[in-house]
Amino acid sequence: MANDNTKNRKAILVTPEVCIGCRACQVACKSWNQLPGIKTKNNGTYQNPPDLASAAFNIIRYSEVPSEKNPVRWLFVSRRCMHCDDAGCMKICPAPGALYRTKEGAVAFDRDKCIGCKLCVNACPFDVPRYDADGKVTKCHLCFDRIGAGMQPACVKTCPTGALRFGDRAELVSTAKKDGFGTIYGEEDLGGLGTVYAFKEEPKLYGMTDDPAIPSSVVFWHTVLKPFAVAGLGGVVAAAAIHYLAVGPHKEEEEV
Amino acid sequence: MTEMVRKSSGDEILNHWVLAVSCILLIISGYGFLFQTEAIGSLFGGFNTMKTVHNWVGVVFILSLLFSMRHSFKDALEYDEDDRQWFKVAGGYLSHKVKVPPMGKYNPGQKLYYLAILGAGIAIALSGFAIWLVQGNQTLILISHLVHNVSFCIFIIAVPVHIYLSTLANPGTFQIMVNGTLPLEVAKKRYPKWMKAAGKM
Amino acid sequence: MTNHWIDLKNADVILAMGSNPASNHPISMKWIMRARERGAKLISVDPRFTQTSAKADLYAPLRSGTDIAFLGGMINYILEKNLYFKEYVVNYTNASFLVSPDYKGPADLDGLFSGYNKEKRSYDKATWSFQKDENGLALKDPTLQDPNCVFQLLKKHYARYTLDKVTNITGTPKEKLVEVYELYGSTGKPDRAGTECYAMGWTQHTVGTQNIRAMTIIQMLLGNMGIAGGGINAMRGESNVQGSTDQGLLFHILPGYNPVPNAALPDLATYIEKNTPTTKEPRSVNWWSNRPKYITSYLKAIYGTAATKENDFGYGWLPKLDVGQNGSWLNLFDKMHQGQFEGFFAWGQNPACSGANSNKTRAALAKLKWMVNVNLYDNETGSFWRGPGMNPKDVQTEVFMLPCCSSVEKEGSISNSGRWAQWRYKAVEPPGQSWPDAEIMNDLYFKVKELYKKEGGAFPDPILNLTWDYGEKDTAGKVKHIDIHAVAKEINGYFLEDVYDMKATPPKLIGKKGDLVTSFPSLQADGTTSCGNWIYCNSYILKDGKEVNMMARRGKDDPTGLGLFPGWSWCWPVNRRIIYNRASVNPQGEPWDPKRPLLKWNATKVGPTGTPGAWEGDVPDGPAPPMGTDGKFPFIMKPDGVASIFGPGLNEGPFPEHYEALECPLEENSMSKQRINPTIKIFGGESDAFYSCDARFPFVATTYRASEHWQTGCMTRHCSWLLEMQPQNFVEMSVELAKELGISNGETVVVVSGRGEVQAVAMVSERFKPFKLENSTVHQVGLTWHFGWQFPEDGSGFDSANLLTPTVGDANTMIPESKAFMVNVRKA
Ligand code: HEM
Ligand code: SF4
Ligand code: SF4
Ligand code: SF4
Ligand code: SF4
Repeated sequence: MANDNTKNRKAILVTPEVCIGCRACQVACKSWNQLPGIKTKNNGTYQNPPDLASAAFNIIRYSEVPSEKNPVRWLFVSRRCMHCDDAGCMKICPAPGALYRTKEGAVAFDRDKCIGCKLCVNACPFDVPRYDADGKVTKCHLCFDRIGAGMQPACVKTCPTGALRFGDRAELVSTAKKDGFGTIYGEEDLGGLGTVYAFKEEPKLYGMTDDPAIPSSVVFWHTVLKPFAVAGLGGVVAAAAIHYLAVGPHKEEEEV
Repeated sequence: MTEMVRKSSGDEILNHWVLAVSCILLIISGYGFLFQTEAIGSLFGGFNTMKTVHNWVGVVFILSLLFSMRHSFKDALEYDEDDRQWFKVAGGYLSHKVKVPPMGKYNPGQKLYYLAILGAGIAIALSGFAIWLVQGNQTLILISHLVHNVSFCIFIIAVPVHIYLSTLANPGTFQIMVNGTLPLEVAKKRYPKWMKAAGKM
Repeated sequence: MTNHWIDLKNADVILAMGSNPASNHPISMKWIMRARERGAKLISVDPRFTQTSAKADLYAPLRSGTDIAFLGGMINYILEKNLYFKEYVVNYTNASFLVSPDYKGPADLDGLFSGYNKEKRSYDKATWSFQKDENGLALKDPTLQDPNCVFQLLKKHYARYTLDKVTNITGTPKEKLVEVYELYGSTGKPDRAGTECYAMGWTQHTVGTQNIRAMTIIQMLLGNMGIAGGGINAMRGESNVQGSTDQGLLFHILPGYNPVPNAALPDLATYIEKNTPTTKEPRSVNWWSNRPKYITSYLKAIYGTAATKENDFGYGWLPKLDVGQNGSWLNLFDKMHQGQFEGFFAWGQNPACSGANSNKTRAALAKLKWMVNVNLYDNETGSFWRGPGMNPKDVQTEVFMLPCCSSVEKEGSISNSGRWAQWRYKAVEPPGQSWPDAEIMNDLYFKVKELYKKEGGAFPDPILNLTWDYGEKDTAGKVKHIDIHAVAKEINGYFLEDVYDMKATPPKLIGKKGDLVTSFPSLQADGTTSCGNWIYCNSYILKDGKEVNMMARRGKDDPTGLGLFPGWSWCWPVNRRIIYNRASVNPQGEPWDPKRPLLKWNATKVGPTGTPGAWEGDVPDGPAPPMGTDGKFPFIMKPDGVASIFGPGLNEGPFPEHYEALECPLEENSMSKQRINPTIKIFGGESDAFYSCDARFPFVATTYRASEHWQTGCMTRHCSWLLEMQPQNFVEMSVELAKELGISNGETVVVVSGRGEVQAVAMVSERFKPFKLENSTVHQVGLTWHFGWQFPEDGSGFDSANLLTPTVGDANTMIPESKAFMVNVRKA
């Protein structure tokens, strides 16, 4: 939360309670981003494509959970990049500028700068990044091109019910709370997510990841190994120099 | 004319240089990745080429490392009482006053250095290949990523030490890596056991 | 819709029954969700737990085809528990009217009404009439106590729809029935509004029209008609289906809901006499008394100067139906199947997939000599000759494909379900050689005209005399390109002479020759005005000397706060956003619900004619003062001026009665001995087979649409983004049924009916539940009808669910019964 980009940060607020599963958001995203249609088959569920894909930056997850008063509860949740403040993908990415933070706080990508190492998906707590035919990263970019021009993200613009809203993150969160949503998923997680969810129940019921975190190996690498790699190199070079000055090079004459 | 002895054969020298150059390239590019250093990237003409270079030089590196086992691996596994003694005096590197036991062709520092490079090299290579080629196995890739970077830390320490010791710290050593020979007189002093075994002493 | 999309936000209770707005009308859910934010409750009644059910506050399942039982039970409940809005019912409906003592209903006649003729399968409606006094006015009992009054007859009729009866028919658990009845019944209070959203789930039944009638009775009892947040709202399945119906798409109506003449009406005078209702009630506006003006102006619009008083304004040139002839879809294709047609224009449709009993439809196409397929894409209809089961060598039909534009590739108006005519502009150039429909018609018209000119033909006059002034003409007299604004203006109408109001002294000029007519009260019956469709009169007007396309307006003001947006586009009639809105006030003109004032009589404000007293709010249903102040009755389209609880107009009776679907799982209708609708037409052909209670077809089936596709999918299947989400036909079924049949989720199965079979992916879920009836358990399945063999080309989408549906229609509209029929399911 302490991060600079939390100021004036924009976000998408997802309110599954008013999502009707119409999937206009899925089409709008594909349309705006001119993504190719994916050849799928029906797997006995409405959910299709089954998961995020290189040509599917958002999907509606349909889940059926038991209900007391009805045959079942049918839940619809939009799944997409969370635009984490503390973004695992950006952390692990070896290519500068391949993933970058926009001034609105989005985590966008630059296809040309991506080297296709595919590391980012492994550091993402939400299994979001996908790779196109050239192995380059693709994912939701919060419509950086639209919001930068003062428009709403395509998916938000098209959502008929207000299940997706775009705006000032702080404002969205406080309105959601005022509207009686007790749990704001992502309010604090990972420094605060850029895609926040308003729930009246346990987010887990909706299939949300419990306590999302960047994998500890990545954290260890970032906080320990990387500094060590600098310190180590610097230390060795310094030690050599000291040695050279203090002890000096090997001299044959001293040999007995 | 001073009499020369041959310490390294032609292919050994070639092997060493291929290994050394590839290793340095890998370290430099690896550093570029690690810290997203634009300057390093531009040395290679951008990160995309740097990645290709890094990956394929990695192939060269591991092949030459494995190739080096042909002449160095056996030596590196053999240690005697003198070697043990050598450690006690830290190879004489910390002080020129101590008495260093007589050494063979390689001192135990070099032998251990070799083993470390070999081990870390294989680890970094295997993990590198995993990062490069494996998909959809998060655990494996995260472990590889860790291994790759831990090994890198070994490299980042071991390689400069090696370079220092074989250049500034031990004048004349560098020459061995150029033409493979050194003066007999020097060899007798530095590698008495090797020279004895070779019947030169 | 009596109301409009945005108005859904004003409701307190929304009943989605016969519709699945979340899937099929997602935009409506925007307003329904707004209503819910205010605390409104959404009820979903559906055989299957749908996307709408998932958002509903209350869900109740019902077996397909039992809506009248469900709603009849609600009427009974409302009456028993006194939930109705007495003042509204007494004043604004015919509840108090006394019915002929000879009238008998199903309670007396075991499922039938008086006047049934078994051979003809129809009723003599003579006894379904009101008792009249010596002045010809209906006798009334405002206390609603007379045993012959509509109210008492209603009570008697629906007293049979007890909770036990209903639950045994519908399979809805009793406590769910009570919950729905209680909640919806709560809107009977003056300050509560309940609305109903229906779609094909109600219409596509042999009792489709009566399903809707049953709901209108409920809405009248609860005082929900004419008010903000109320009404009966038909959610149209196509963006412009309202517009096409308005413009006379159906075989029996001319533009503006004027009936198509038949052979028994040889001249205009007879036509007018037979089709113009009269009333003795001085306080009824009886708007249809204006019919002569509308039909005459229509004839002037289409025949222009050729239409003269002397030649009956060209009435003789209008095509006439034979008496009793029904030219609806099922009948046309039945005739085609019998080889009675040579040619067929399949224009913007895909009957090979959309028509009930598609195998029959496809076979019918093969009997044609030629067919013209006007569509965006080639489809199952255009390619029928190479479809499954067809041998191209045996098919003689010559097929022409005319590619046409989609709606975004041309300019024009679209009338949405809320009757809003919205002007749209061309967004993109049409690809390839595709033309707007109007251009195709233009070419066709001039070609046909040329042939008639050259060859004469049996009856050239209707074509030769047609006006066609839709743009600049070339030297041969042909319109080069259709100016769609010229069409819109012709629909609105012109003054053909200087027209004066003769009642004023001195006569006042209403309109100058050549000017656009401002509104339909100015239309004349003497040929001095033209109007292509009177309900669209006022859509393209002359204002301050300038022609204004009202449909292109984009004003965003909402003065009432009710979301009427009177300055946005234009709505028929005369921009009235909620029809029958005079029923939203009490007889004194004060809104029933002061919090939601749709209309209000302001006695001090000076009205449009200069007299004191004027309405404020929506455009009122006529300027007359409120009923209680010597004004007019609110239901101006009704000859009596009030809403018909007792409605003698429909073919199967004045009150809706439950009958089973033609194909049903029950040996007996537990309401009466009359199992099926006694007035439906039974097609007897070999391909029209139907099977009830047949072990070969033990499960009820229904068809529906998904959000991702549209109709037969002709447009949407070609959009890879949509196909990605819904790639294949699927059949939803309960876990229980799947277990019984050994079918697992995601497996491909075959669904079979007496008429055909289709493959589909099984979607097994808790969302479908078996229905527990009195002595049996009934399983139901449901399929989408979006798919067809022709595209995707590899056949992976499977074929149309309409291969299964029966050739049988509603007794009034002939809409096919595709929402309740019998099937079997087996593993592929
Ligand atoms: C044997 C062969 C090697 C292979 C196949 C390999 C492969 C890789 C791969 C795939 C990456 C991820 C980024 C990219 O795709 O470029 C990577 C990163 C890296 N490599 Fe290597 N590598 C090898 C050897 C080495 C060596 C010898 C070193 C240094 C001594 C090294 C140091 C690094 C470093 C520091 C990174 C950046 C780590 C990060 O940002 O996560 N690699 N290597
Ligand atoms: S959700 Fe994953 S991809 Fe998106 S910002 Fe967070 S870590 Fe990166
Ligand atoms: S795939 Fe691209 S974006 Fe992802 S970590 Fe590698 S370089 Fe960065
Ligand atoms: S914000 Fe833009 S990129 Fe992200 S899911 Fe929505 S439409 Fe797609
Ligand atoms: S567009 Fe909105 S309502 Fe529709 S599925 Fe997407 S989030 Fe849900």
